[in-house]
Amino acid sequence: MSARPLLSLFLFRIAFPVLALCAALTGKLEAEIDPAAPERIDLTNFPGELVDKVVVPIPAEIFAVLDKLDEPDWNSGIELPAESGAGRDRAILALTFGSLVGEGFIAVQAKNPDEIQKIGRRVLSLSESLGLSGAVRPHSLAIVEAAGKSDWAKVRDELDATQQTVRTTMERLRDDELSGLVSLGGWLRGTNVVTSFISNSFSEDKAELLNQPGLLAHFRSMLGSMKGPSGKTPQIRAISTGLARLEAIINQSAAIGEEDVNQLREISRAMLDEYYFVKP
Amino acid sequence: MNLTKNRRPVRLTLLALGGFILLGGPLHGFVNEAISLALEAATPYVEQGFEVREDNWSGEVEPGKPLLIRHQLFRGNEYWFWAGTSWPGATIKVDIFDNEGNSVGLESFAKDSFAGVRCLPQKTATYFIRVVASYEKEREGLTAAERGANDPVDGVGEFSGSLDWGLVYGYR
Repeated sequence: MSARPLLSLFLFRIAFPVLALCAALTGKLEAEIDPAAPERIDLTNFPGELVDKVVVPIPAEIFAVLDKLDEPDWNSGIELPAESGAGRDRAILALTFGSLVGEGFIAVQAKNPDEIQKIGRRVLSLSESLGLSGAVRPHSLAIVEAAGKSDWAKVRDELDATQQTVRTTMERLRDDELSGLVSLGGWLRGTNVVTSFISNSFSEDKAELLNQPGLLAHFRSMLGSMKGPSGKTPQIRAISTGLARLEAIINQSAAIGEEDVNQLREISRAMLDEYYFVKP
Repeated sequence: MNLTKNRRPVRLTLLALGGFILLGGPLHGFVNEAISLALEAATPYVEQGFEVREDNWSGEVEPGKPLLIRHQLFRGNEYWFWAGTSWPGATIKVDIFDNEGNSVGLESFAKDSFAGVRCLPQKTATYFIRVVASYEKEREGLTAAERGANDPVDGVGEFSGSLDWGLVYGYR
């Protein structure tokens, strides 16, 4: 056993719980300063308003944990498909845009400036197909520039900002469905690469990262409520079926096992094959 | 947004806007003041390595009515959630709970229009963030700073019955 897995084991099984316990004790002391802070609330009978909006985590949030647990070869995870933007359905373009941003997060983790710069330019090109190049251009330029300076935190910020700008612009144009598809595309690309790395070197701590039933339910509901012809295309139907299969695996047992991860990887890959890794 | 409400002093708004720009936020046609204040609260933590997300939650709510926000967190990351409200004299609080309703906040602060809570998730799951914006003062009880740089004209700056709120988060 190399030193890295031992360190991960120490961090996750011993150091984090001890730190959390210390912090919890500290937190309790601080809570006494603010007696209004409740120790427990009844979620089944909450006396207020449940906010509908779901903020989807960016792939970098999961990648950050994976980096603490292991040393994934992020360069092996980069897989930029051939360009094929023109003439495609806007829903597919939105999904592809999100996945391309997800690809950017993988390239940042790999600290690969050449790939990031390629992705930055591709993001701009795709935004032209979506009619949003004016909003995206400053971010694209900032991504290329920051990658040239190896300023990885800045690249991550700009990738997040690119996605957010596109989503906000779509929402202003009353294209809320497209906005949600951008998030789904990014999440799917991130999930697929994470499942690949976990399959290659399985551990329960890593597999737990895939426990995201709330997000899966959100994406399924989003696709189910899509109106218009985009929601009935074979690709969207296939992605919807794929989400249902992912959800079934995640919900079937308390802990996600090695075989579950393999299935999650294959299903998420098949979903990406529908629109992202599609042959030109 | 409530267009009739009183605005905070220009200095504070500029400071918040500066923080928003520093954090790489997109500049649109308007600035959400509650989000700007939440980002202002986040600024010191960015220096500690927290990456603040661009996406966020915001809206308007009756004073004292709790809001509950669902969010996916990952074990192994550390999170801060920061909340803000821009109504002069209003206060805001933020807490976090696991999916059984148990408080999991490790550290928190609440000072006037800002609040924050820190969390180190013990499992990868959906968590619940509770935000409560409150307003109890009458307009006459406000200080000059709370009223803003200029006295409002009649009918402008009167409390309309709802408060703006914004919530952002960061991870490391």
